[in-house]
Amino acid sequence: MVPGARVVAVCDIEPLMAEQLAVRFGIPRQYSCFAAMLDAEKPDVLHITTPPEAHLALTRQAVSAGCHVFLEKPVALHHAEVQAIVEAANASGKKLAVNYWPQFEVQALELRRLYQEGVLGDPVHIESFLGYNLAGDYGRAIKQDTNHWVRHMPGQLFQNVLDHVLNKIAPFLEDDEPSIDAYAYKENTGLAEPDVGDILDELRVVIRGCRTSAYATFTSHARPVGHTLRVYGTRNTAHVDYNARTLVLEPMQGFPSALGRLFPPFSVSRNYLKQGLRNVGRFSHSHFHYFDGLRNLLNEFYHCIETDSPSPTSCREILFVSSIMERIFNQVYAETQV
Amino acid sequence: MKVLVTGAGGFLGIRVVARLLEHGYTDLRCFLRDTSKAKRLEELVKAYPAARLEFASGNLHSKADCAAALTDVSLIFHLAAGKSGSCADLFMNSVIASRTLIEALEARKELPIEKTRIVLISSFGVYGVGALARGAPVSEETPLEAHPELRDPYSYSKLRQEQLFWEYQKRDGFELVVLRAGAVYGPGGGHFSNRVGLQVGPVFFHLGGDNLLPLSFVENCAEAIVVAGTTPWAAGQVFNVHDDDLLTSAQYLSRYKKDVKHIRSIRLPYPVTRVLAWNLERYHRRSLGQLPAILTGYKAASSWGGNRFSNEKLHSTGWRQLVSTPDAMKQTFEYFRQHRAKT
Repeated sequence: MVPGARVVAVCDIEPLMAEQLAVRFGIPRQYSCFAAMLDAEKPDVLHITTPPEAHLALTRQAVSAGCHVFLEKPVALHHAEVQAIVEAANASGKKLAVNYWPQFEVQALELRRLYQEGVLGDPVHIESFLGYNLAGDYGRAIKQDTNHWVRHMPGQLFQNVLDHVLNKIAPFLEDDEPSIDAYAYKENTGLAEPDVGDILDELRVVIRGCRTSAYATFTSHARPVGHTLRVYGTRNTAHVDYNARTLVLEPMQGFPSALGRLFPPFSVSRNYLKQGLRNVGRFSHSHFHYFDGLRNLLNEFYHCIETDSPSPTSCREILFVSSIMERIFNQVYAETQV
Repeated sequence: MKVLVTGAGGFLGIRVVARLLEHGYTDLRCFLRDTSKAKRLEELVKAYPAARLEFASGNLHSKADCAAALTDVSLIFHLAAGKSGSCADLFMNSVIASRTLIEALEARKELPIEKTRIVLISSFGVYGVGALARGAPVSEETPLEAHPELRDPYSYSKLRQEQLFWEYQKRDGFELVVLRAGAVYGPGGGHFSNRVGLQVGPVFFHLGGDNLLPLSFVENCAEAIVVAGTTPWAAGQVFNVHDDDLLTSAQYLSRYKKDVKHIRSIRLPYPVTRVLAWNLERYHRRSLGQLPAILTGYKAASSWGGNRFSNEKLHSTGWRQLVSTPDAMKQTFEYFRQHRAKT
């Protein structure tokens, strides 16, 4: 629970879904009419977790009713809708944040600090990698339900996860409209795991800005399921592993000839040991929750409301991500290789 | 009489269709989400030349699919339900899907709803056994769970599904028969009910000890569903479904190790489980949820407190156990042994 906040009501167009949520979490009131909830509860903050096609209409209603808005990703189906959401929030003077939780994991915050302090130098190249296990409940739901809302998005499966790949690149790329080459396909490995029917499930993207380039990878089949970011800078290269919760700088080769290749593994091992011990420390102080990034993000969002400071997820970042996503989908769904 | 079976392609559904055919029902419609499962049913019906099997493929979230499936149907066996996933998924697939089906039935014009019977397959999970003393009997009169939020999501979704059917039955007047099944097992099913214990990493924690398991072999369960579900006086009644000669949790695990494969297990006596649960629950609260409360005092009492069971009421419908427990175990464990590489 965010300090100083309490959940006063839940709303779902399906009353039984609102009911189960309220019962499970002891939430005092439940609604199936959004307008009725806004009218009766007059909440300060609204968390919108519906499928994305409803986000624009709900955000407009919410900011008109005086609510700050926390949105689940993907922000909307199309970039134009995302622009309209940002405009609606800005015009009303209300705060808007998007659930980019991995960006608020301790290691991601540390990476941001290193970058801002110049430890990395200028970014040369970024590699953002996200794996997904479609053998789980989510993949099963998409496979079994031919009418699943994910199937109806312009970017289908990719649109539901690509925010988490691209938002990590955004802070390092100065260009708002870099060039993009995207390639998607459906993996046919014969692995004994359920696929998602006719949906593309592998995506590779090359992004080229004026001074910085990036690779974005989404994979459903690589194992173990990875979630990493590598930032190559002019001074240092940093590697963040979101699953292992580590951030390490690549070791410099300080010794000449073969000696220079002898010591780096020990240096890397020492760095990982330090990270592991730090994580144990966090765990023992109960600061190691599974969605620690979400806790940090929510705390920052509520803090920005109280102090009237900028939102933790900037409008530039939100628009950059949605713009790149739309361009990727235009490419891969115009010419698919199934 | 046209009979509809939802979830007909599932572990239990196929057996229910088989028992319906055996009991002489010849006009069956099978509702399937996954049409690839029709093949097994088509094979099944070949032995009954007089029988006609139709397939209604679709999604129970679609009122149109439900309406099409309900055409001319006067007896419905509702087996479709969510078995896994998040609480929201389970609610969508059990509760919301059920409501869509009932609303499609309400909207149907050609047959009066009062002349329709629904046989709902519910679960022992709906009982509020966490509040009972250890060893207390569980019968059809045992109160329903008063704190579903403290139980596992599956039990909560099945409880709400059953409540929903009773609410609509009062309003619409259709005939409702509810069968609350115990731990259904058999070839193609799961290896262990949670009542035996929990697999944590490489170790199986045996938590059920010498508690009786309300086991129901899948063929026997299907027979119970058909017999009780079609008994004229069963309208408005609830029946607990389990076999006659029940095993204890320890006996089941011991035979599994002997007949299927050896697994590393640690037996935790019930008081130890309660202490462990109490500590985990306390840690969960103190750490603000750093580790999930997978084991709580209430869950432990509900799953491993230990109860006695009776299927006397089921017997009064004329149901008899088709396959003896030793034969059922033999069939099941033989299947598990042959398929163990896949588990």
